[in-house]
Amino acid sequence: MNQIWRKFKALFAAWLSHMTIYRAEILIWMLSGTIPLIMMAVWIGKAEAEGGKLGGFSSSDFASYFLAAWLSGQLVVAWVAWEMDFAIRQGTFSNKLLRPLNPFWEYFMQHITERFVRGPFLVVVAATGVLLIPGTKLVSSIPHLLVFLLAISLAFAVRFLIAYCVGLCCFWLENATALDELYFILSIMLSGSFAPLEFYPAWLRPILEYLPFPYIVYYPAQILIGKLDGLQTGRVLLVQLLWLGITVGLFQIMWRVGRKRYGAVGA
Amino acid sequence: MIEVLNLEKHYTVAEKEPGLAGSLKSFFKRQTKLVKAVNNVNFAIESGEMVGFLGANGAGKTTTLKILSGLLHPTGGSARVAGYVPFERQTNFLKTITLIMGQKQQLMWDLPALDSFLVNQAIYEISDSDYKTTMQEFTDLLGLEDVLKKQVRKLSLGERMKCELAAALLHKPKVLFLDEPTIGLDVNMQVKIREFIAEYNQRFNATVILTSHYMVDVTALCKRIIIVDKGRIVFDGDLSALLETTSPAKIIKLQLLETAKKNLLERYGTILKLEGLNAELSVPRNEVSSRAAQLLAQLPIADITIEDPPIEEIIGQLFTQAEANR
Repeated sequence: MNQIWRKFKALFAAWLSHMTIYRAEILIWMLSGTIPLIMMAVWIGKAEAEGGKLGGFSSSDFASYFLAAWLSGQLVVAWVAWEMDFAIRQGTFSNKLLRPLNPFWEYFMQHITERFVRGPFLVVVAATGVLLIPGTKLVSSIPHLLVFLLAISLAFAVRFLIAYCVGLCCFWLENATALDELYFILSIMLSGSFAPLEFYPAWLRPILEYLPFPYIVYYPAQILIGKLDGLQTGRVLLVQLLWLGITVGLFQIMWRVGRKRYGAVGA
Repeated sequence: MIEVLNLEKHYTVAEKEPGLAGSLKSFFKRQTKLVKAVNNVNFAIESGEMVGFLGANGAGKTTTLKILSGLLHPTGGSARVAGYVPFERQTNFLKTITLIMGQKQQLMWDLPALDSFLVNQAIYEISDSDYKTTMQEFTDLLGLEDVLKKQVRKLSLGERMKCELAAALLHKPKVLFLDEPTIGLDVNMQVKIREFIAEYNQRFNATVILTSHYMVDVTALCKRIIIVDKGRIVFDGDLSALLETTSPAKIIKLQLLETAKKNLLERYGTILKLEGLNAELSVPRNEVSSRAAQLLAQLPIADITIEDPPIEEIIGQLFTQAEANR
């Protein structure tokens, strides 16, 4: 146990130093992921045009939801598919394979440390949003915040594993980044970044419940702003755990089978 | 320490004609070709041996090293390194080996090398006291004092290679796979790296397989060489035996005190070069002592040296023979 802790600590320290060097780049990446903030302005404008409320949502309801959705989206960002695509196709993955540690963990720690550098920027933007839009309540209560942190951690783990499995597709495909783009488009459309799921067509809602997307952005956002009761929150966490189990299983199968196809080219 | 039996690695590679027509043709009907990168290779290496692995580009040297280090899954046959099946990547196996590729780096590009060393210390579960002792040894042997705290991307190629070596050997592996470790380095740095590898082999009785296009790396470090050509072993044995069997001649280099006529020198051997006071003669290996004695007695000679022909030439001959026998 002590050795595992030492490994994570060393990886954390090294990658935190690395991410700190690239803090300006992280800020730019963060600002490029502003779809929920743009949608917030659109929906608030529409609500005001309708006389202050739209589908039961007031301007401040929209502001709270979209700020929470933006925050959730920012905390689950994963670019590991791009890293792996490069590493597997260029052969630099070999160096990671030579070490007595599954390469998964180094990529995982790389993403975790990035969140620590991104975190302060997120707090500033979220606080500014709350101050500028009257009536906005981002954090319902401290317990809601704590449950949100658990839900968003699970959401990140699922998103990361999906991205990792997409990256592993490089063992079979020439290029896996197109698949990650496909995931990105689906995620934007189906995770609740464009609109709260209440505004989605009635036929689509039950289908979405069987997909991972709402559990990565929509439901964590709902937990943070206090829209879910205890039972609903428990169900969300349970479904997230189920997705975690599915993605871990998929990762293990793909890793076992795919690694035999690794060509270690260029190295 | 290393046992390789009927080892094979075959790849299917896509082939495409150049140009737009080739791209269109390939889009509708993809052409593939089977490449036998390693083809029925057998050898065994004892603990502490240093073996030179030679061959032209694409001969199968690096592929073999990648199989032995667990990166590649062999198509057929078997390989065992220190009792482990490499592809299984057992933790103890990975702690026993290292693969250093001169053209690839493991150090984190934006950080000082010391940060990568600390990561390796944790990943290889090296105790603080062992880490300190090893780092001190490597710092002394490789002269790392001034480079450890510099960002890796700001190091020269030679400095970076020294750090790569130290990072790859921090866990004191018993088996070293070295793939072109001196590529691109200047002569002084090549010598330093060679000395370090020899010292490491002596101190830790490490088993080393070395590939290099610089023959001096191989001749300076390895008694035994394995030569591969098109995925097959064409020679496995002592370097001296290779010289004797493949090249029945030696070269006598002369520095004369006064010019000598061509027909006079031809009496002692085949003239390879005659420029002013410098001459080179090719002489049958079994007659080299008597011919040298005759030369010294009968001609005004300032200096005489006896050498084997360049190893590149000998290996070239070997490939030609292998091609002819196929």
